[in-house]
Amino acid sequence: MNYPVWQLEFLGGGFLIAVIAIIHVYVAQFAVGGGLFLVLTEHFGHHRNDQGILDYVKKHTKFFLLLTMVFGALTGVGIWSTISLLNPSATSVLIHTFVFAWGTEWVFFVTEIVSLFIYFYTFDRLSKRNHLIIGWIYFGAAWMSLFVINGIIDFMLTPGAWIENHNFWSGFFNPTFWPALFFRTFLSVMIAGLFGFLTASFLKDAKLRTTMLRYSAKWLLVPFILFLASTWWYRAALPPHVEEIIFQKMPQLRNAITIFMACSPLLILGGLIMAIKMPSSLSRSMAAVMLVIGLMYFGAFEFLREGGRRPYIIYDYMYSNSILKTDVTNVAQAGVLQEGKWIENRHVTKDNYREAGRELFDVLCLSCHSVGGPLNDINQQVRMSSPEELELIFATMGQERPYMPPFPGNEMEKELLIDYLNNVMRKE
Amino acid sequence: MDPVSLIPTPDAIPVHWFWLHLLLTVTTFLHFVAMNIMLGTGFIAFSSPFWRGDDVMPLNTHISKTLPYSIAFTINLGVAPLLFLQVLYGQFFYTSSILMGVYWLSIFGILIVSYYAAYAYRLADDRGGMGRLYIAATVILLLGVSILFSNNVSIMQMPEIWSNYFANRGGWMLNFSDPALLPRYLHFMASAVAIGGLAIALYFEILKRRGATDGDEWIKLGCNWFTYATIVNFAFGFWFLGALPEVAYNPATLGGKLFFILIVASVATIVPSVAYAQTGKIFHATGWALTTVLLMTLSRDILRLTYLKPYFSLSDLPQVSQYSPFIVFLLAALGGVYLVGWMLKTVWNSKEVA
Repeated sequence: MNYPVWQLEFLGGGFLIAVIAIIHVYVAQFAVGGGLFLVLTEHFGHHRNDQGILDYVKKHTKFFLLLTMVFGALTGVGIWSTISLLNPSATSVLIHTFVFAWGTEWVFFVTEIVSLFIYFYTFDRLSKRNHLIIGWIYFGAAWMSLFVINGIIDFMLTPGAWIENHNFWSGFFNPTFWPALFFRTFLSVMIAGLFGFLTASFLKDAKLRTTMLRYSAKWLLVPFILFLASTWWYRAALPPHVEEIIFQKMPQLRNAITIFMACSPLLILGGLIMAIKMPSSLSRSMAAVMLVIGLMYFGAFEFLREGGRRPYIIYDYMYSNSILKTDVTNVAQAGVLQEGKWIENRHVTKDNYREAGRELFDVLCLSCHSVGGPLNDINQQVRMSSPEELELIFATMGQERPYMPPFPGNEMEKELLIDYLNNVMRKE
Repeated sequence: MDPVSLIPTPDAIPVHWFWLHLLLTVTTFLHFVAMNIMLGTGFIAFSSPFWRGDDVMPLNTHISKTLPYSIAFTINLGVAPLLFLQVLYGQFFYTSSILMGVYWLSIFGILIVSYYAAYAYRLADDRGGMGRLYIAATVILLLGVSILFSNNVSIMQMPEIWSNYFANRGGWMLNFSDPALLPRYLHFMASAVAIGGLAIALYFEILKRRGATDGDEWIKLGCNWFTYATIVNFAFGFWFLGALPEVAYNPATLGGKLFFILIVASVATIVPSVAYAQTGKIFHATGWALTTVLLMTLSRDILRLTYLKPYFSLSDLPQVSQYSPFIVFLLAALGGVYLVGWMLKTVWNSKEVA
């Protein structure tokens, strides 16, 4: 209501955010766990006095640097730009509330970049001790980045006492902060193992390849138990309403739950298979499949976390259409077309009622529904409902349909929007 | 439509705006320095072979090694000013970004490609052949990103054009109708080439002091790029000044007065910088050039405030004070500076290990 709406029709409904976020966070989590993988594998190489392992660490670091520092860093800036384009009001709240958390995260980001460059380019230049210290500095900075970002991301799902007191620390150390931190830490370590499979599978020396594949399998399998325990803790820390939305009320999340459940045994099984001695070409294919399974696993989790906030973008504070929970009554009285800043058709006539309906759709629906796109396609959903059922949906929003915000406009606006859906969207 | 009615309501800031603006200015300065080095050295590596042929390849080998660093630091040092800009001017910045959403989002894809092209240039066997293609892709894409950034700043500062949104809601708006856009862009780009040239001279001067014997040619080449690009930039600068609204430099207003003083001071500092560069005193030249970049950063801040004056003043921002996160940030920054300093010192003092 405060900002213009970017008419991102096909890619709307959260699709663009989901794609960029899932890929970015997968790589970003690798940037954390992979840092620990680098430095511990270097320790491992020194401990066994094995130059082959040390050479592998160097090659893996090059891959790690090219993936995390280029793709990871830029998609990281890209995801925040994407949410600022699609949910500017929520982004503004996050930025203004946590500006110094972001600032602190940026300091860790600088430290990460400097330490990773130095780590990669000084394998043959620094003493063993100093090189390992640089590696630990990288991992420390990367994990602290996770620590900070974790507070902000989970604030969106469980803002806790911040809703009442608007205190930075209440929002940051919110009810799911600690379980999510452990969850993401263990997941990062597992992802490091998955990427370890990939680079190890390209090793030409069969003995070394088997050694490093088994070593990587431990990175995937050992933290798995701890990861499952933190998943249980995370779920237990969710407010009952969020848990109900995720596991019972929101049909769109069922596929994500199924994928998450199915991928757990697949990852364990895959990890065990990777530990078996096998030809290089087979291990490469298996490593690629494991990475895809890991991405699906992680993507399903992120999808659930995002979905669990519905009907809010910031839980219990701002609805997904950017209207504050506390403003709904005022908006309903004055009308969306009057309260919105970026409205062209404030006064509805017989000549502009369809345009007004379109503006209401943009402001109220476009943040969650695509038009003809892969996620929450409004055309498909309107066509699946009769005009009477559509009326019923509007009557039950925010109640029997708890994943949708209550309709915030007045009666005339409701009719305009339903008319638009029936007469324009139904026919597209 | 009255542009004032379109300006979103800002959220409250947690500390006095002065601190946030100080951080914005300091981090913007750092970003500009890195950006100038990145774009300038890249441009020189791309264009020099056109008239120097393969003679310049030893220089390009050095640039190919440093370019991924400078891209990484330009992006990294761009994150902080982007953050503080959003806190102080988010209601303008988010809006302009949405109005040009397609282009704005494309920046990140373009940057990824240009970054990988820079790595391909580094890893290429030679700087000719495909290497020329890689550096061309890097530089052209980065120049494209710069024009999109200039457009965003232009749209952000001109709410009077925002109502064009109602005819173009798909995020395809640019603002080439702004008479200051092109000269501003060229002014920035020429500045980048100049500072890039000086960075090359400084890099080889440092190597020389550490015992290298083959850098004199490149020190001279870098200083010449710095000098000629700066001379050209005077022309762009005057064009830019002429394209600005009169209120920007009107001495009758505080903003105009400050802007005028900063521009005069910038000219006063760049002249000795060029003179030092031409006499081979690279460190002195660098000191004066950095002072110029800082003064230009400040003048840009003043200019933004002047553009937005009809609509907004920093003192209008609501404030709900919470200083403890600020203190934590400062402590983290101190710790980060210490760690980065220790790492750089460790590398600087290192010798080859057998």
